[in-house]
Amino acid sequence: MWHNISWRLLRHELRRGELTIMAAAIVLAVTAVLSLSLFTERLQSGLLARSAEFLAADRVLSSRRVIDDAWLEAAAERNVQSARRVVFNSMAFAGEQLALIDVKAVSDGYPLRGELKTALQPFGEDQVTDGLPDSGEAWVASALFQELQLEIGDSLDVGNKTFTVTRVLTYEPDVGFSVFTDSPNVLINYIDLDATGLIQLGSRVRWNVLFAGEEGALANFEQWLLPQLNEDTHNWRSVEDGDSPLARSLQRAERFMLLASLLGVVLAATAVAVAAQRYCQRNYDAVAIIKTMGGSRGQIQAIFIMHLLLLSLFSVVIGLLLGYALQAWVIEVVAQQLGANLPAATIKPYLLASATGLISAMMFSLYPLLRLIQIPPLRVLNRDMTGNDRLSWLHWLASGGTIYALLVIYSQQWLLSSALFAGGALAALLLLSLGRLFIRVSRQAGMQAGSAWRLAMAGLQRRAKANSVQMLSFSTAIMLLLLVLALRNELLADWQRQLPADAPNYFIINVDRGDVASLQQRFTERSIVANDMYPIVPGRMTAVNGVPVRDEVTKEDESGNQQTGEQREGFGRELQLTWRDTLPANNILSAGQWWGDDAEPQVSIESEVAKRMRLGIGDVLEFNIGGNVFEVPITSVREVNWGTLQPNFYFVFNTQTLSDFPATFISSFNLPNHRKNELFELFRPFPQVSLLDLDAITEQIREVIAQVSLAIGFVLVLVLIAGGLVLLAQVQASLEERQQELVILRTLGAPSKLLSRSITYEFLILGAISGLIATLAMELALWILQTQVFELAATVHWRFWLIGPLAGSIVVGVLGRLSCRRLIRRNTAQLIRSLA
Amino acid sequence: MLIQTTQLRKDVQTTDGILHILQPIDLQIAAGESVAIVGASGSGKSTLLSLLAGLDLASSGDVVIDNEKLSELDEEQRAKLRADKIGFIFQSFLLIPSLTALENVMLPAELAGNRQAEQQARELLGKVGLSERLTHYPNQLSGGEQQRVAIARAFVGTPKILFADEPTGNLDAVTGQKIEDLLFQMNQESGTTLVMVTHDSDLAARCQRVLRMDAGRLSEVQQHVA
Repeated sequence: MWHNISWRLLRHELRRGELTIMAAAIVLAVTAVLSLSLFTERLQSGLLARSAEFLAADRVLSSRRVIDDAWLEAAAERNVQSARRVVFNSMAFAGEQLALIDVKAVSDGYPLRGELKTALQPFGEDQVTDGLPDSGEAWVASALFQELQLEIGDSLDVGNKTFTVTRVLTYEPDVGFSVFTDSPNVLINYIDLDATGLIQLGSRVRWNVLFAGEEGALANFEQWLLPQLNEDTHNWRSVEDGDSPLARSLQRAERFMLLASLLGVVLAATAVAVAAQRYCQRNYDAVAIIKTMGGSRGQIQAIFIMHLLLLSLFSVVIGLLLGYALQAWVIEVVAQQLGANLPAATIKPYLLASATGLISAMMFSLYPLLRLIQIPPLRVLNRDMTGNDRLSWLHWLASGGTIYALLVIYSQQWLLSSALFAGGALAALLLLSLGRLFIRVSRQAGMQAGSAWRLAMAGLQRRAKANSVQMLSFSTAIMLLLLVLALRNELLADWQRQLPADAPNYFIINVDRGDVASLQQRFTERSIVANDMYPIVPGRMTAVNGVPVRDEVTKEDESGNQQTGEQREGFGRELQLTWRDTLPANNILSAGQWWGDDAEPQVSIESEVAKRMRLGIGDVLEFNIGGNVFEVPITSVREVNWGTLQPNFYFVFNTQTLSDFPATFISSFNLPNHRKNELFELFRPFPQVSLLDLDAITEQIREVIAQVSLAIGFVLVLVLIAGGLVLLAQVQASLEERQQELVILRTLGAPSKLLSRSITYEFLILGAISGLIATLAMELALWILQTQVFELAATVHWRFWLIGPLAGSIVVGVLGRLSCRRLIRRNTAQLIRSLA
Repeated sequence: MLIQTTQLRKDVQTTDGILHILQPIDLQIAAGESVAIVGASGSGKSTLLSLLAGLDLASSGDVVIDNEKLSELDEEQRAKLRADKIGFIFQSFLLIPSLTALENVMLPAELAGNRQAEQQARELLGKVGLSERLTHYPNQLSGGEQQRVAIARAFVGTPKILFADEPTGNLDAVTGQKIEDLLFQMNQESGTTLVMVTHDSDLAARCQRVLRMDAGRLSEVQQHVA
């Protein structure tokens, strides 16, 4: 029988709109979580797939020694594909000509991610090419065709082996962004490697194995492999490891999405919490009546638990449908805009979303429901009876626990969740006390004001306790909204700075010292935006503080001797050194001092290299440049933004130290596509200058950033809706508390205008104070996030100090005004009866 | 006796000490009787009603209803007793706003597990003249109509006792009169024992016994045969 009553109550209340806020809150929580996690999951796997192209794999193992076949077999057993890649420098001979080349020997399957492109003629139209050079064949980069005056079908000697050149190599996904290391590439088959006779002890060779597969299989393989790796010999990389210029942007975007979705979930949960409280309060009378009519506690429990369960299920289903549709629509837009195909998502987001909706509905209603069930039947005669609040600790425990659990489930990161939760709890306490303080102060200020204002202030003060709780949810909602908005702006601006419309799309290398001035002049004449010219001096770092660095695989290594603790791992290759008077653009000094006019020999080192090689201010480095060996102390450490398409360096020397060495110059510049035809004319006087076209790469980055920006915009809208719903739920709940006072004032003859004004003012003030507190809290939170999570520079957002209070008072004021309109329109008799 | 109290007291702890809301009360009401309890506001009428109906617990003394001692029953058993034997009518009607008139009347019968709930509710609503208003919600009904629904609801479980708290207190004189008539007519037809709290001396005069409550003390005003 009770299920009939429960079902009936639900049906009528839904139809009459009495459950709208509660249902909307659950629907929103589910919609937000589902669409966000579906979207992020699909976008992430899309982006990862894209980025994997830069590695030509999902994971890469690099080693200074040959990697055992057993490891490749172990990968195969775990459903992980693998391919070998060996890279080394050598000389290539064609007839009488010779050139320094990068040889890349690869085995079947390469590239595991991305595609090779080749052409049949140098500078001819290229196309995607499956397969690899056969044994005895070599595919050769266009530049080498120029340098060695090669033609397709010619022979090329590399070491002891003669290869036939069969194709022009135009694109390798894993070519990387480094413009310095690249001598023209020659791609050969791994089975020809031994025949070249070039791999011997002491050869500077990077042995790589590429791996690709499903994330689960990869994780399984990693678990097996990683404990066996030796830190000195092996290097394990994935796309997210920060090597690709996209990695940082991606990581930030991912963190933002995660954070924003978490905040969205918290907001939606808050809306559910506020609505649940109200939902239960509304049923106090019904419970008292049912108890008076002889309903047992068991019946009442069953009726209301089923009622809530049905309501939650109904809302979850609607939420799932909406979430799916929303996400599908956004993906459609993304696909249309970017021509990108995103992989389908797993079932996980659906489970996550349903669980979020059900768990928050149940847990936030737990205490209000317990209280509801305990309502004494005597309430039918004494309306003030609302049951006891002995169990209010349970409320805080259930709500807090639920929010924390949701954070953990959603982010799968204990640390981040705990930090967010602890910070949130602390902020809530602060907000609560700040709110009360503000209300007290504003009450005193209000005493001097006109009657509607005075009424509003008095109301604020009287409901100080309730109001400070309301203010807490207003402030939290406004703060989270401002936070997401500000963070989004920061991220977008950061990317924009990194890749402005005039970002360089060409690198020039090999500029003679004598040509620098005339080339710069030609740029100026043609209004071409170019970066500074950077001198390049090739050299090797040979020792640190008098102890030689290990650069090559030596006999001792092979026999397994331990290295001494002092000895550091070198770069294993020639470095590109430069000199400069001023700190390069997009570099930040993190330690030491820039030299200015100081003529003493000194060097500035990039921060990541400093960390990796355990180097710091005062360490003395020994360099060998063309047989000249000299020592130089480190006087500064720079943070370099590797995402910028400008020449970036590990080591920058002061001019006096390096400028006497022979150098060539490099730079980058932007030339719009429609001006491409000017290139030939521009560089005709400088035949030795090599030009590198970065358009493909910048396009790729732009595309990814566009996708991510779109995603972030989408997240923002969802968070906005969630925040709006919290505000609405809170305003609705607080209006009910105001009803009684309204009746009294009304009965005493207060005109509607006065009443609606005083309510509007009260909400305006509440909103403004909440907005102000929210802005303060947002600045604090943002400062922590910017510096600790997003690795951005901290900034103060003055605009928000105006936007926060203003938006707060307008939104809360308007919502309050709209919600009270119906209340004020009702005549006094109706109001009195509704309160009786 | 259907209702019997012995030395029934209700005290409340306040900041100024103990407040004696009900002085020891001994009361006996026979089956089929109609009793009015009159008195000024705050005299303890409603408290007495709540104790008699088992909505609240006495500080000392006993209430026995149909041979069951309320002090020996727990909350659940008292609810069961109300479901089986007691009906209520309130000044503010106390209908559940999200249920229709018919569903409001069905509610007590359904809670008692009565399978004929709907049929009985329809008949009763017919008796109170609301056959045309079955699917209306309380807020779509006038005050008088809402109280008729409440009366129908009170009689749906064929209770032995009907407690009424100011049943016409929220109604205008004409409507109040009609509701009075309906209440007494239905009470007579069903032979229910009626215990009514009221300010209205005319309404009280229609009962067989009138008891006066004054500062927690109960005294018999008059006794006449209806």
